[in-house]
Amino acid sequence: MSEATAKRHMGLRASRTVSNTLIHVLLIVISIIWLIPFVCIVLQSFRVENTGPVGYIIPHQWGTGNYTRLFQTDFPRWYTNTFIAALATAALQTVIVLCMSYTLSRFRFKMRQPLMRFMLILGMFPGMLSMIILYRVLKDLGLTQANAVPGLILVYVASSGMGYYVSKGFFDTIPMSLDEAARVDGATRAKILYKIILPLSKPIVIYTILTAFMGPWGDYVFARYIAFGTSAGKNVAVGLYDWLNKDQISNCYTMFCAGGVLVALPVTILFLFLQKYYVEGVTGGAVKG
Amino acid sequence: MKKLLAFVLAAVMALSVCLTASAELAGTYDITIWVAENAVALTEKQVQDFNATNTDGIVFNATIEAVSEADAATQMITDVEAGGDIFCFAQDQFARLVQANALAKLGTKAAETVTANNDPATVAASTSGDVLYAYPLTADNGYFMYYDKSVIPEEDVDSMEKLIADCEAAQKYFAFEQQTSAWYLASFFFATGCKSEWKTDDEGNFISVNDTFNSPAGLIAVKGMKKLVSSPFHLSSGSVNEFNSGAAIVVSGTWDYTAAKEILGDNLGVTDLPSFEVDGKEYHLGSFSGCKLMGVKPQVDAVKAAALHKLAQYLTGEKAQMERFEELAWGPSNLADQASEAVQANPGLAALIAQSPYAVPQGQIHGSWWDIAKVIGEDVKNATDDAGLQAALDNYYDKISSLFTLDTSALLFVGAWNNWNNADDTDTYYLKDGSVTLDVPQSDYMGGRIVNPGSWDTDKGFQQVTEGKELIQDLGEDIGDNNIVFLAPGNYTVTWDGTAITIAAN
Repeated sequence: MSEATAKRHMGLRASRTVSNTLIHVLLIVISIIWLIPFVCIVLQSFRVENTGPVGYIIPHQWGTGNYTRLFQTDFPRWYTNTFIAALATAALQTVIVLCMSYTLSRFRFKMRQPLMRFMLILGMFPGMLSMIILYRVLKDLGLTQANAVPGLILVYVASSGMGYYVSKGFFDTIPMSLDEAARVDGATRAKILYKIILPLSKPIVIYTILTAFMGPWGDYVFARYIAFGTSAGKNVAVGLYDWLNKDQISNCYTMFCAGGVLVALPVTILFLFLQKYYVEGVTGGAVKG
Repeated sequence: MKKLLAFVLAAVMALSVCLTASAELAGTYDITIWVAENAVALTEKQVQDFNATNTDGIVFNATIEAVSEADAATQMITDVEAGGDIFCFAQDQFARLVQANALAKLGTKAAETVTANNDPATVAASTSGDVLYAYPLTADNGYFMYYDKSVIPEEDVDSMEKLIADCEAAQKYFAFEQQTSAWYLASFFFATGCKSEWKTDDEGNFISVNDTFNSPAGLIAVKGMKKLVSSPFHLSSGSVNEFNSGAAIVVSGTWDYTAAKEILGDNLGVTDLPSFEVDGKEYHLGSFSGCKLMGVKPQVDAVKAAALHKLAQYLTGEKAQMERFEELAWGPSNLADQASEAVQANPGLAALIAQSPYAVPQGQIHGSWWDIAKVIGEDVKNATDDAGLQAALDNYYDKISSLFTLDTSALLFVGAWNNWNNADDTDTYYLKDGSVTLDVPQSDYMGGRIVNPGSWDTDKGFQQVTEGKELIQDLGEDIGDNNIVFLAPGNYTVTWDGTAITIAAN
């Protein structure tokens, strides 16, 4: 190796080190900015010397008082409400979405294309538009205020069939010949779905469950509208947000932070464990639409 | 449908008022009451007390829900039918609630009692037009000054300039929310005698405003404000938690007293707002004084409505307000309670009372005003000279007058002759204690309507026409409200004298 090439190599390596360092410094800065609000909320939730918002981040006195206070309020009820709604939605919506995707991916029936197009167009209308009429319908069914949870589940699940795109895309990538082989061996359509297709599409199933769970978990607008004026029907987002009202904030702010931490906990754990599948699911379905 | 429902409810209410005296009220009623979170337990006890003591045999099965008073109107308007039967709210939501038919009128007798026993400002806040719609609950929604005695010498508390100097010397902050809150920044304007008074009619609609913020007195006010906001130690905040982060003075209200006491302990000073000096003259800072109200929702069942009004009267009566003062330190609106020694001795309320000669009762104010007026704070901070200050006021005035019609005693005769333009810039057909002449061209529809500028809702129609009725035809409510159609094309003179309209053919 001549001296000149060696030098050039050195230069290349040096420049790569420099650019890597720069990129990492940038990433560290970005992640600090990204994490600061979360760290703040966690720290504030352990602050016990004052329950209102203050101008510093590190608590002067630490304690778990906010968490114990939290359980003397209606918070457990809100948490249960949210959990039930999210869980039920996750189960029902997953079943509906997967069946829908399977049907659209494997069956060839009249009106299939028009139906898909129709749902595409229908999906373009923001759901909020239907809020008032939905409220009236739910009210007539007696599913508002204190009975908001079944009402909310109904709303969340009702249109879920239209969210078939990603999983249908994934199913399309599974060769039809597998189905045909199974058919030859005498499998029914349903058997094909749960014996062949589903085991092959684990990432997409988990992705569907996760997204179905996250919607109700963080919902504010619908939940607030349907559960208005009753503590018993609120979900966590609505209940916690009400603590930020002017007349409550100085008493409830740290409790709000503690509530926020508890809300984030299950979702964070879920994502940590299922992250691998989640990424596969999102990208897998996009390979072929 | 909504109108019909409103009408039925109103009719039932009116009926209930008539029936109150004679109807048999005894019975058990399931009701929902919305109160602030910290008042839930007390209200539960008070309802029990009412059940035990009332002589009519009324028993309430009350579900008490915590709904913030700051948020009650939004919640209520979501669905009045499903809202609380009795609910508490801050007075700024009053007009919205009346417009939404969420408040039942008080009967004559109840109205008399309420008027006689409560602070007049709170009664005014519960009144739209001449009708009383709510029961005053507190009268403590105002602001005054909290300060740290270890930083601020007591002899300086009357002068804003000295306070600023003290804060700057001690490197401590003077917290007074000027950049983000019209409620607080109005303080300077009230100091120099400016006003922004809104009028509502019996249905809660805003009909006129008298606003003098953009005036020589207003300029003095913003000069005073400039002194404060240009100090590097001014902080735009209204929370006593700022005492934790380097503030020596915080302007806030009674709700912060406990928190302030906790932070500063014996060093806490509480007093009325200071004066500021412009061109050698002193102006004592003003403030808003506001209240919380309790409302009863219009009911289908007249007997239940009457019973609810009894309960509301009890819950806002002398005894209940005193209990609220003792347990929650809410300042009573009841005159007897206000005069009691215990109330007079409360430091927060004492400061509020000291401030009260300079306080302006917060009447009905249009919801948009708060957002328009709060911009003044930022504009004043950015202004570099007097012209800049004046520009801030001009900007405010422009926004107010582009959104609302400042003088709605004027009327506009809109129709084909002015292309149905109902903005107040069309001077041609603007009736204000005078007359206009208009050409009505031949067309299929030679109609129009007389409205307040900028609005299609509040018509002054056929009914107001005293002379010349034969020239026009009233289309009644079939085509909107009181549409007027000229029977023949031609040139007409329309005169408006403030109450009646005269139409003459030329």
